[in-house]
Amino acid sequence: MQKLTGLERLLKTIKLQEPDVVPHFEALIDKKVRDAILPHASYEDFVEYMDLDGIVVFDKTSTWSYETLSQNTKRDQWGGIVRFTTEETGHPMIPAIKAEKDLDSYVPPDPDEDWRYERLEQLVKRFKGQRAIIAHVTDVFDVAKESLLGDVAYFRAMIRNPELVQRVNELVVDYHLRFIRNCIDVGADVVLVTGDWATAKAPMVSPAFTKRFISPYFQRIVECAHDRGVPCLKHTDGNIWPIFHIIIEAGADGIHPIDPTAGMDIGEAKAKFGDRVCLMGNVNCATTLCSGTVEEVRQETREVIRKAGKRGGLICMSSNSVHSGVRPEDYVAMVKAIREYGKYPLEDHFNNLVVPGSIK
Amino acid sequence: MVSLDKLSKSIIEGASDKASALTKAALGAGIPAKEILDNGLIPGIRKAGDLFEKGEYFLPELLVAGDAMLGALELLEPVLSKSDTLPTGKFLIGTVQGDVHDIGKNIVIMMLKGNRWEVTDLGVDVPPEDFCTAVEQGEFDILGLSALLTMTMPSAAKTIDALKAAGLRDKVKVMVGGAPVTQDWAAKIGADGYGPDAPTAVKVAAALVGRC
Repeated sequence: MQKLTGLERLLKTIKLQEPDVVPHFEALIDKKVRDAILPHASYEDFVEYMDLDGIVVFDKTSTWSYETLSQNTKRDQWGGIVRFTTEETGHPMIPAIKAEKDLDSYVPPDPDEDWRYERLEQLVKRFKGQRAIIAHVTDVFDVAKESLLGDVAYFRAMIRNPELVQRVNELVVDYHLRFIRNCIDVGADVVLVTGDWATAKAPMVSPAFTKRFISPYFQRIVECAHDRGVPCLKHTDGNIWPIFHIIIEAGADGIHPIDPTAGMDIGEAKAKFGDRVCLMGNVNCATTLCSGTVEEVRQETREVIRKAGKRGGLICMSSNSVHSGVRPEDYVAMVKAIREYGKYPLEDHFNNLVVPGSIK
Repeated sequence: MVSLDKLSKSIIEGASDKASALTKAALGAGIPAKEILDNGLIPGIRKAGDLFEKGEYFLPELLVAGDAMLGALELLEPVLSKSDTLPTGKFLIGTVQGDVHDIGKNIVIMMLKGNRWEVTDLGVDVPPEDFCTAVEQGEFDILGLSALLTMTMPSAAKTIDALKAAGLRDKVKVMVGGAPVTQDWAAKIGADGYGPDAPTAVKVAAALVGRC
């Protein structure tokens, strides 16, 4: 097959068609890891050097505004206090909304401010048509739960005050829909929504609550992207077996990372859902990519491709992100293994590929 | 006649107002505080935990059950005698370095308190050396390490290594937990116990100190 561009490779894969080789990108690659592989390079130069198929504009680091409060704490654009630790992205500590009445005077951030799209514009200028430009957005559930209400208050309100949950969700989704429209107008090729809906044991809330409070808002984002001809990918860690179908029914074109740490098997996901949705993942970045040998990384990557690569529909990635604990040589080994074992037709390399949709 | 079964049920249902009202009524009817605790509150929160383990309850249902239990416990505490409140054990807990999530840790604390553990909370983003200092200075049965992010799981391993390096590893049992954590990984990093969820963590903790 003729060599595809990264953009073509990714889009073909998302459409469940066989590309030339299994594509790869990461939502986040920590600076320490990048510097160890290509010292002092910009993210863009690193993506070019590694020949990644997509580049992500991460909303929290490139499009959100922050007010610095102290060395390690900032107020995010939603009003939540965020603490920064060893990773590049901070985590909410104190939510913006302390009491329901705070919402009456709450002023949400304005997604139409031009500066939010400067980074995206730079990437469009450099990579448009060659590599997929991926606009990242943090899930409505995540922003509403973490920055606005606080997780405990949000979960409580699901039972005690569902109207409050809906009100906060509406506020966030309004921002997100306008933000996504703007990103696509600027040139984003793909939308990636991240935010966990599950823990390693189970979904955070029941399937009924997922359908009532979480998936409808994700679905509106998907529809917004689809209306403009752009696919939408969903990341959630955890054991999502009980809600896998809900994510697909909401319209997700791809699901990341089929979390191996939560005991999810990407081969089983391929057999059950591989004819309906693109699978993304799932080389283990809690174990193998942190402490495995290069050979162990190669074998695990090979196995992911064997289990989920048949007939396209696999973007081979880490099982979360290339965080600061990932060994640079292991990340490089994974990328090389994808290129080595991921050449289509995979039948040339494997005789026991998992057939998509073979389990109904 | 005040029914302690109804009190248990109100906790299972997360009906805080009802649980508090029934607790007050039970105290008013002269039922000893310890009996209210042992036959009303504790069975209620344990049942909620069981439902969570079975996958019938999720985080919202468990949280409101915990709220109901803690509200009722607050009413009992002033009247529980010292001998009534001997703890099951002493539990030191914190979220590991690099991780500022506290919901998992706080639910575990809630369940531990409901099962009469004395809990010391070191908070979030706790460096290994701070865990070591607390273990060295206190008399704890168990140290619980919470990691809610895949990327901060290695900090739990570093904390266990730091305990070993400081000669403190044998002073305390170590449990790990958190959304991405698994039994295999817990064993791999040398933890004594692992809780896939808060209710199980409480059972594992009791087993580790021989009080199950």
